Amino acid sequence: MAPTLVNAALGALLAAALLGAAFDRRSVAVVVAAAVVPSADAAASLVVTGATNTVLHTVWLPLAVGGLIYWDTTRRESSWLRERYGWRGVRVGWVALTAFVAAGIAPEAVGDPGANLLYPVDDAYYVVDGLLLFSTQDGVVQTFVSATAEGPGLLPFESRGTTETHAIATWVNPDGRPGVGGSDERVLTLVETGWQAVVVAAAGASLAVRFRPWSSDSGEKATTASPSEDPPVSGVNE
Amino acid sequence: MVSSLVHAGFALVLAAGLLKRSYDRQALAAVLVVIVLPEADALLGPVMPGAHRTVGHNFVLPAAAGLLLYYDTRIRETSLLRERVTNTGVRIAWTALFVHVFAHVFLDWAHLEGVNALWPLHDGFLRLEGELLWSSVDGLVQTFVEIDVDPESGQRQVDAGSTGTTESVHVNNPVEPDSPEELERAETIDRRFPVAGRGWRLYLLGLGVFTVIARHLQGDPPDEPVA
Repeated sequence: MAPTLVNAALGALLAAALLGAAFDRRSVAVVVAAAVVPSADAAASLVVTGATNTVLHTVWLPLAVGGLIYWDTTRRESSWLRERYGWRGVRVGWVALTAFVAAGIAPEAVGDPGANLLYPVDDAYYVVDGLLLFSTQDGVVQTFVSATAEGPGLLPFESRGTTETHAIATWVNPDGRPGVGGSDERVLTLVETGWQAVVVAAAGASLAVRFRPWSSDSGEKATTASPSEDPPVSGVNE
Repeated sequence: MVSSLVHAGFALVLAAGLLKRSYDRQALAAVLVVIVLPEADALLGPVMPGAHRTVGHNFVLPAAAGLLLYYDTRIRETSLLRERVTNTGVRIAWTALFVHVFAHVFLDWAHLEGVNALWPLHDGFLRLEGELLWSSVDGLVQTFVEIDVDPESGQRQVDAGSTGTTESVHVNNPVEPDSPEELERAETIDRRFPVAGRGWRLYLLGLGVFTVIARHLQGDPPDEPVA
């Protein structure tokens, strides 16, 4: 699985990009938390066979929550979410759900060991990996989608096995199987490859720029000159 | 090169997070131009060996641009840039610089033979590759920078992923899909324009497209946000 640190970093980037006027420390914390929640199913694997990248990596849960938020905020006469937390609550809710899917689940599915996307309807760890390019000799070449992909599963992607056959090692559960193992080495991966290091660095730098802990004014780089042309935006961040 | 589309995807995510109220089509277009521009160093390849991943892909020019931008907008009494393009332009300039560094140079640093990080001060390609982990047996382990102590001489050797110099490294690209010597021998030249070479690159591309669509669909906050 992509390291949880990378899930958190992607969540932070989405928070900065999508929260808009609802951006503050608390809302960012909520969104980042939503991005790392799927990784918690590793703990369930101590009890349930193959829970890692399965229980909280299926698309059904976020679909249901999304449907619920949609119904509550647009179909009902008075929305519980909006009455309780206002406009900001609705925005934070949607962005957190987005982070759950796009920063928590999706990164697991684009590389090994894969995510069990349709569980329990269909039990298969999908890996959407391959290449897509245009070649002057061969035309369009793509290997992401393949109707004859190996492994079980309904979707036309490669899959690595089922909850029975594919055990995923995590630092919580080093052998990936139920029960607390013996003296296994525990490995908590923080960054697996170069690009993940770049994503983590970019997220850290983005949050630093947005929060600016080193400066007393939370607004602009330019607070002194020509305020009439572009008023300071500090109010937006409150 | 990591495909320009992947750079653009990641750039859109970062730009959406940094532009704040300056976020609009014009600003995004400016950021995308800055993202694509460095690839022009591939065109220099035929006349300057090793130009790709060197001229437009280093840490020195962005650092110089950053210093210049800082000097002009923060230290000088009247900023030339701010007078010409207002505060919005200044923010777009900072964002474009940030995006160039993180979404372009750094991503390429982690791909193939890396980038010529300190060019023109020093000619040497560096590649960012490794992992960072905590193990219950070995403790904190990182393999991005290898530090070896020569047992005989006791000298320390630091390897941050060096892959060679402009003399020895040629990073394949559609202009020169192989090293110049190979290309002379080849009968047919296969130029490959990548969209996404791995799952995670398709992911970053998709994330950028998704971010822009989501921003487009989002409603404006009410005038007085209900807290």
